[in-house]
Amino acid sequence: MTFYGVGIGWRPEIAGFVAGLPGLRFVEVVAESMPHAGPPPPALAALLDRGVTVVPHGVRLSLGGAEPVDGHRLEHFAAAAEILDAPLVSEHIAFVRAGGVEAGHLLPLPRSREAVDAVVANVRRVRAAVSVPIALEPIAAIFDWPDDELSEADFITEILERSDALLLLDVANVYANARNRGTDPVELLDRLPLERIAYCHVAGGDENDGIYHDTHTAATPQPVLDLIGELVTRTRPPALMLERDGDYPPAAELAAELSSIAAAAGYPDPARG
Amino acid sequence: MGDLAAQQAALVAALTGGAPIPDGFDPRLVGVARKALLRKRAGDVARHWPRLAFALGDRWVPEFAAWAAGRPTNGSLRDGWDFARSLGAPATDELAAREAAWVYDGVHPPRPRRLPALRRTAESVIVQVAGRTYRRAR
Repeated sequence: MTFYGVGIGWRPEIAGFVAGLPGLRFVEVVAESMPHAGPPPPALAALLDRGVTVVPHGVRLSLGGAEPVDGHRLEHFAAAAEILDAPLVSEHIAFVRAGGVEAGHLLPLPRSREAVDAVVANVRRVRAAVSVPIALEPIAAIFDWPDDELSEADFITEILERSDALLLLDVANVYANARNRGTDPVELLDRLPLERIAYCHVAGGDENDGIYHDTHTAATPQPVLDLIGELVTRTRPPALMLERDGDYPPAAELAAELSSIAAAAGYPDPARG
Repeated sequence: MGDLAAQQAALVAALTGGAPIPDGFDPRLVGVARKALLRKRAGDVARHWPRLAFALGDRWVPEFAAWAAGRPTNGSLRDGWDFARSLGAPATDELAAREAAWVYDGVHPPRPRRLPALRRTAESVIVQVAGRTYRRAR
């Protein structure tokens, strides 16, 4: 797989900052924010022109929903991959709506055989519509369903194997879940199929009501950087990508955060040429 | 409807519509998730209604969250629109500009207004002609 190094989630609010990163080779864009057809938005077209890979990241397909993925949403997702000439696409192991009601965020699935079947069926539908591989991201969950049949690692591994999907490993989600459940994040790393990693997410969050929330609105905390260090001793992910979705800091701070992520992984610094 | 479909619908109803929390879930954690969803929604709506959110300042998140609890989302644009209409004064200018440009009945998605429109607020006069909106301070 191509090596991209440290990237960042492209958002309109930080488009100027992203455009100014001399060593950038990888960004992700929210698939639902893309136009339905035609050329990519000018800011993304400029990145593509200089050889930056742009991956559409779906947030509303609801692959873990019990019902089949919506045809219009799937068409749009496939179009986004075409428009960006993306080498892969990504989505979540989660559901976002049920019974005709939007939840407004990614919700966890029960770790059951029935849920595995639902995700696998939907990923197959996506794979039939999209010509490039898909990477699936396990989410940060504030709560768990009762009566799990599978461990988290077995649940993820079975979904990836049966749907022949890659892994989008969110290091901050691994940290958040372990912290909130009182488990060891490194132990989970050791049980996941790391050889399937397409790329990784990194982000910061906030503590509220005694729970760590992966909000993407704060700097990446040291324990997440440490976990990157653990990860790269086991595998070398093709890309590590910072997600920031609000409370944007000054450009120098954001650049320093990218540099810290690069340093933690031993990767080239995208903020330098 | 299979088991999973029914269980997912019950969970979403509990998180967004104030339905009872399904058996077996940790009520404290589901409550934390419900609050987190409302905070996230407030942030999403603020991006569509920046002047409204700015006008409310520190009260934006709690006031929007109190309004939105028990009302599943219709998308950030419409959520903010419905909330703005419920508030009156703080929303005036931003709401008036939207009302001049779009027809929104509160039930169906907004659609562009075909005829010119004029709206007066305490601060501004807003005119919409051929889809373009002009605002002038009074």
